Amino acid sequence: MARVEGVPQGTGQLEGKVAIITGAGKGIGKAIAEAYGAEGAIVVVSDIDEGAAKEVASGIPGATSIACDVRSPEQVQALVDQTVSQHGGLHIMVPNAGIGRPVPLVTMDYDEWRAVTSVNLDGVFLCIRYGAPAIIASGGGAIVNICSTTAQAAVPLIGHYQAAKAGVMSLTQTAAVELRAHGVRVNAVLPGFCDTDMVTNVKADFEAMLPLEAMGGMDGVIAMKQGRYGTAQEVARMAVFLASERSSFCNGSPFVLDGGCRASLL
Amino acid sequence: MAELDGKRAVVTGGAQGLGLAIAKLFIERGARVLIADIDEAGAKQAADELGDSARAVRCDVTQAHELDAAVQACVSAFGGLDIMVNNAGIEIVKPLFEHTEEEFDRIYEINVKGVFLGMKAAFAALPQPGGVIVNMASLAGLGGVPLFGAYSASKAAVVQITRAAAIEMRPTGVRINAVCPAFVNTAMVDRLKPIVTEMVGVAFDDLAAMKQGRLGTPEEVAEMVAFLASDDSSFCTGGAYVLDGGLQAGML
Repeated sequence: MARVEGVPQGTGQLEGKVAIITGAGKGIGKAIAEAYGAEGAIVVVSDIDEGAAKEVASGIPGATSIACDVRSPEQVQALVDQTVSQHGGLHIMVPNAGIGRPVPLVTMDYDEWRAVTSVNLDGVFLCIRYGAPAIIASGGGAIVNICSTTAQAAVPLIGHYQAAKAGVMSLTQTAAVELRAHGVRVNAVLPGFCDTDMVTNVKADFEAMLPLEAMGGMDGVIAMKQGRYGTAQEVARMAVFLASERSSFCNGSPFVLDGGCRASLL
Repeated sequence: MAELDGKRAVVTGGAQGLGLAIAKLFIERGARVLIADIDEAGAKQAADELGDSARAVRCDVTQAHELDAAVQACVSAFGGLDIMVNNAGIEIVKPLFEHTEEEFDRIYEINVKGVFLGMKAAFAALPQPGGVIVNMASLAGLGGVPLFGAYSASKAAVVQITRAAAIEMRPTGVRINAVCPAFVNTAMVDRLKPIVTEMVGVAFDDLAAMKQGRLGTPEEVAEMVAFLASDDSSFCTGGAYVLDGGLQAGML
């Protein structure tokens, strides 16, 4: 499978739509912000790291940035309110902000559990809680939750991350059926392992804590299971499809991109 | 630039319904399409209406040589094959034990063997890497559906054969995915409406509205197929992609 990198030339799929992407200072969120911008969206780049958000926004025509800690109801509400007052509405919300680091369940501090679930699950709830009413008031649109294939099956050492992602899938379903009558579609993107900082940063930990030598380390396992690592840009293309009218009958479903990993029992 | 510029596709069952919508959208996005259908007259008429970018050939998907011939016809007409859409299928809607043995065999022969033969014929011609196969499964392939026992079993088989083929073919760079629509506004659904209404005791349209909001449209299914056929889905293989308006997400 040929890798796709770089921002593809857009075809105006999101022309004039106002979109918030959280955690867009780097990685997958940044790629989504760039792809949405290329498709004609008015992009609000949000990140807890204000400088990173500003820098990403500066590279996207018409984009603005708003700092936001998605653990805070006040900040998420302010993110939505500022977007609506700046751009006159909100059509697309992409709760993407997430963190993760490998810790075995039996040595995981409760604080560690809370740290990950509060960003990865509570943060998505807050984005739906405050984003959906603004989308409804703007005449409808789409919420694209950035989930993970680990919502469906376990990888050792990231129990908190996976429980949160499974929670995101569940929230996707509830939001999809609750919001359907209001013209808001809600779907989840489930990427496999991608060559983002989040994954490369934990590679050494995984290799230290798991017996992966026989498989050729983390890279060998990924090659066997996924063929290769995905790219942030590939995740972004799926996020464009799910935000656009092209997916108008898709609602409440997981959209996996993992090079075939989940398709095989082996 | 359109997403499918220069691509050459075969769409089985392309004379009507979902297949025709797929052929239309592919051409709109820059592809050339060979419509392969057992209804030769219907396929020809569809191709005539779609213009220079379309051709037609008779194809019974239960016959390996007819699928090979369809692939060859695409190669002769357009110089190659980049996308194979195994869309041809039939439905039988009745209580499971009222299916005759012949009916059960027939639905498997067309819906399952037809996809197997279509993938096999296409694989010989698809570029490696870069070739794409999209198989038409159904939401019925992911969950039990009363009155659709044989149909849903056949579509579950399509999902699983898609997965196995995708993993086996991954090293070649050929991607293979399945699409799983819920009820879509086609002649197939028109045929089954009165049967479902009578047997379930609820008007079909009310049932569809409650479960999936509304019927899907063939154009919406075509969009999912076009996404999976394009380079936009370059990391997708072995997937079963659902379009159901929220049916599967809800329990009630």
